[in-house]
Amino acid sequence: MDVLTLAMWIGTAIFLIFSFAKDKGKTKQALKMAFGMGKGMLGSILSIIFLIGLILTVFPPENIAEFVGKQSVLLATVIAAAFGAITLIPAFIAFPLVGTLVHAGVGIVPSVAFLTTLTMVGIVTFPLEKREFGLKFTAVRNGLSFLFAIIIALVMGVIV
Amino acid sequence: MKVIRKAKENLFILLIAAAYIAMFIINQNMGIASIKNSFYYIKEMIMIMPVIFVLTALLDLWVPKEKIMKYLGKEAKVKGVVLSLALGSISAGPIYAAFPLCVMLHKKGASVRNLVIILSAWAVIKVPMLLNELKFLGFEFMAIRWVLTVIAIVVFSWITAKIVKDDDLPQLKANQSGPSINKSACMGCSLCTKNYPELFEIQNKKASLKEISEEIDQEKLMKAVNSCPVKAISISADEN
Repeated sequence: MDVLTLAMWIGTAIFLIFSFAKDKGKTKQALKMAFGMGKGMLGSILSIIFLIGLILTVFPPENIAEFVGKQSVLLATVIAAAFGAITLIPAFIAFPLVGTLVHAGVGIVPSVAFLTTLTMVGIVTFPLEKREFGLKFTAVRNGLSFLFAIIIALVMGVIV
Repeated sequence: MKVIRKAKENLFILLIAAAYIAMFIINQNMGIASIKNSFYYIKEMIMIMPVIFVLTALLDLWVPKEKIMKYLGKEAKVKGVVLSLALGSISAGPIYAAFPLCVMLHKKGASVRNLVIILSAWAVIKVPMLLNELKFLGFEFMAIRWVLTVIAIVVFSWITAKIVKDDDLPQLKANQSGPSINKSACMGCSLCTKNYPELFEIQNKKASLKEISEEIDQEKLMKAVNSCPVKAISISADEN
């Protein structure tokens, strides 16, 4: 276990001890909630992980990096953003995945675009959002999020 | 809807199992490599997932959401923006879990701009997730992406408010009497069943109401409503 993960475990443990000292009942409730959330998501998380394992074997990260490198930055970024918009990968799997891809040589700009649309734009959740907020709100919010994801990515390409 | 979703979930798992079997028949070495690749992510997941869920639940518990919500009206300008960002960043659950909460806030007077900020912050600016990003992509990457994302959210929420007006959002229909559960928001955390086991139960990973003959215990019901991390339980008397 690396230092940062260890620090997170220790920090969370301290937070948990303080929380217990202050309100035992509420803390127990929070733990139950955490456990419930994890259990509810475990099945879909595991199937997504096994799918990623399969894809990375058929298309090794080095080949993906080589392929992305051949495209123009803008095209690669738009495609990466589109991938992020249609897929539903939990963020804590997305970070190690993008980490693998960046280390294999995939550019920062498409990676950032993918990460940002992954969480902010939801094609799968679009009907749900439309029902709650109406078509106009949903279309404008998702459209602008997609556009700004690309802008964020391009600006990061300039800075980093 | 529930049946279809369950079938879809299982279909996904079945398809992946089938793909693995096909892989092992065609090329055994690649099948083994796929499982090895998967185990790297499973290992990372086991190390980080418990912390992220516990941390998220603790933040959700200790940050006073009700106080923050009071200041989200149309008048609150800078304060509204900051508080909306804060509310989104500390809350638990995926983005669709924020939908019912935002609908409720809009009913109470929160502006379109603040709704967009809450939804976007809910999606991308999560404290436990930032720590995860820091681990895999480094401090510089995480910090710059965070700053740019906050700026982007502030800007495009302003644009959205120029295009979308309050009237564009659907008006709320009157509900039938008694408590109801927004199943698309429910994460199946089962807190309501613990607070009021006589009324709530978990079916297919979602909370649902039991048929009960006796009078509803309002105190227990309120406890269940308030404990719900995604505010998926509503009571019709409160709607009007």
